[in-house]
Amino acid sequence: MSSMKDSVADAQSAGNTLLEIGALLMSSGASTHRTRVTMKRIAQSLGYGIELLITQRALMLTIIEKDQQYFFSRMKRISPLHPNFKMVSGISHLSWNVKEQNWGVEQIKDELQRLKSLPKYPRWLLLVMVGAAGAGFCNLFGGDALNMGVSFIATVAGLFVRQEAARKNFNPYLCVFFAALVASFLAGLSEHFEIGADPEKAVATSVLFLVPGIPLINSVTDMIDGNIQNGVVRAINGLMIAFAIAFGLFTSRMILNF
Amino acid sequence: MIVLEILTKAFWSGIAAVGFAILFNVPKRTLFPIGAMGAIGGFIKFGSMFLGIGIVLASFIGASLIGIISIQMAHMKKSPPLIFSIPGVIPMVPGAFAYRMMLGFIALIDLEDKDVYIQTLIDTVNNGAKMIFILISLAIGVSIPMLISRKETIKKLKETTN
Repeated sequence: MSSMKDSVADAQSAGNTLLEIGALLMSSGASTHRTRVTMKRIAQSLGYGIELLITQRALMLTIIEKDQQYFFSRMKRISPLHPNFKMVSGISHLSWNVKEQNWGVEQIKDELQRLKSLPKYPRWLLLVMVGAAGAGFCNLFGGDALNMGVSFIATVAGLFVRQEAARKNFNPYLCVFFAALVASFLAGLSEHFEIGADPEKAVATSVLFLVPGIPLINSVTDMIDGNIQNGVVRAINGLMIAFAIAFGLFTSRMILNF
Repeated sequence: MIVLEILTKAFWSGIAAVGFAILFNVPKRTLFPIGAMGAIGGFIKFGSMFLGIGIVLASFIGASLIGIISIQMAHMKKSPPLIFSIPGVIPMVPGAFAYRMMLGFIALIDLEDKDVYIQTLIDTVNNGAKMIFILISLAIGVSIPMLISRKETIKKLKETTN
């Protein structure tokens, strides 16, 4: 009797850990295919069979124990996309360690804890580098040095606003709207005061840091892999972010043309 | 002169790639390769455009190259390829076309003159079509190595080639 309890408890513990790994992967920016392959790899190495349903915001897992006597099913909510490639990379390592060095569930849990506590880049570095990316975009589109400077400042201000809005728990699309509004308004002022050769370029590039690169690229990747549903969901999410950017631009245009 | 201009654009592509890499919180050891890949992708894209290749095909060529290098980098730096390929292709994202398309749609709201309306509509649809096709070519370009090799993980890719 106790051995049955043990195997059930083991399967439950493994199932919960697998769900956590899958949810972390999806919310960190991995594609559906990668999430499925990684979870299968870990489950097989632990000696379980699994069946999976992966959607954008929820995971469903059935884990079947070795001799097919016990199984365990559970659903888990996935938090919204919050890109974190350190997590994707760390979980990829973890899955190979489970396979090649026979890690157990306890070791996996410890490693997940460690990955979650990894430091992020300092905020000033993030602001400066994303600002530099904005200036870089401006150069790519043919802006001169002054336009690039305007784009840098507008991008930094926009990203700062987005971070603060996210901290105050605004709706994510609204955060993008605020950021686009502030960035394009600041860049639009340079149009007003005629700073640089082509101020329109600075306005166009000041909002590019908001472009939903991960949802759009993962959307096409998912569709190629046959995960059409997730691909469509990601595409619509990307479109909604694009509309939020457009709405921010529209509002700042209205204010500046007033 | 034109070479210098392409090199400058390549440099700023690299900077843009690193900026997005930091935004996506990549592991520190991958930052330099991502910057280099962004620069190489930008160089190939603007170089092919200078040779007269259209922007869609040029983006596709650049993205495919980034996809191929990202597999190699994944082995060297022990990280999944998407960590290199997604920030690497972001400088090629058709932001300017998206911007012009949005402005076009905004302008369409209260245009009244028929000829101006039609011209704006043509430009808007043209910009939108370019944007969508560039996006698709970027995404297919970076997944080309995995599509051709038909392997589930890049580890198997290495085992078979060794």
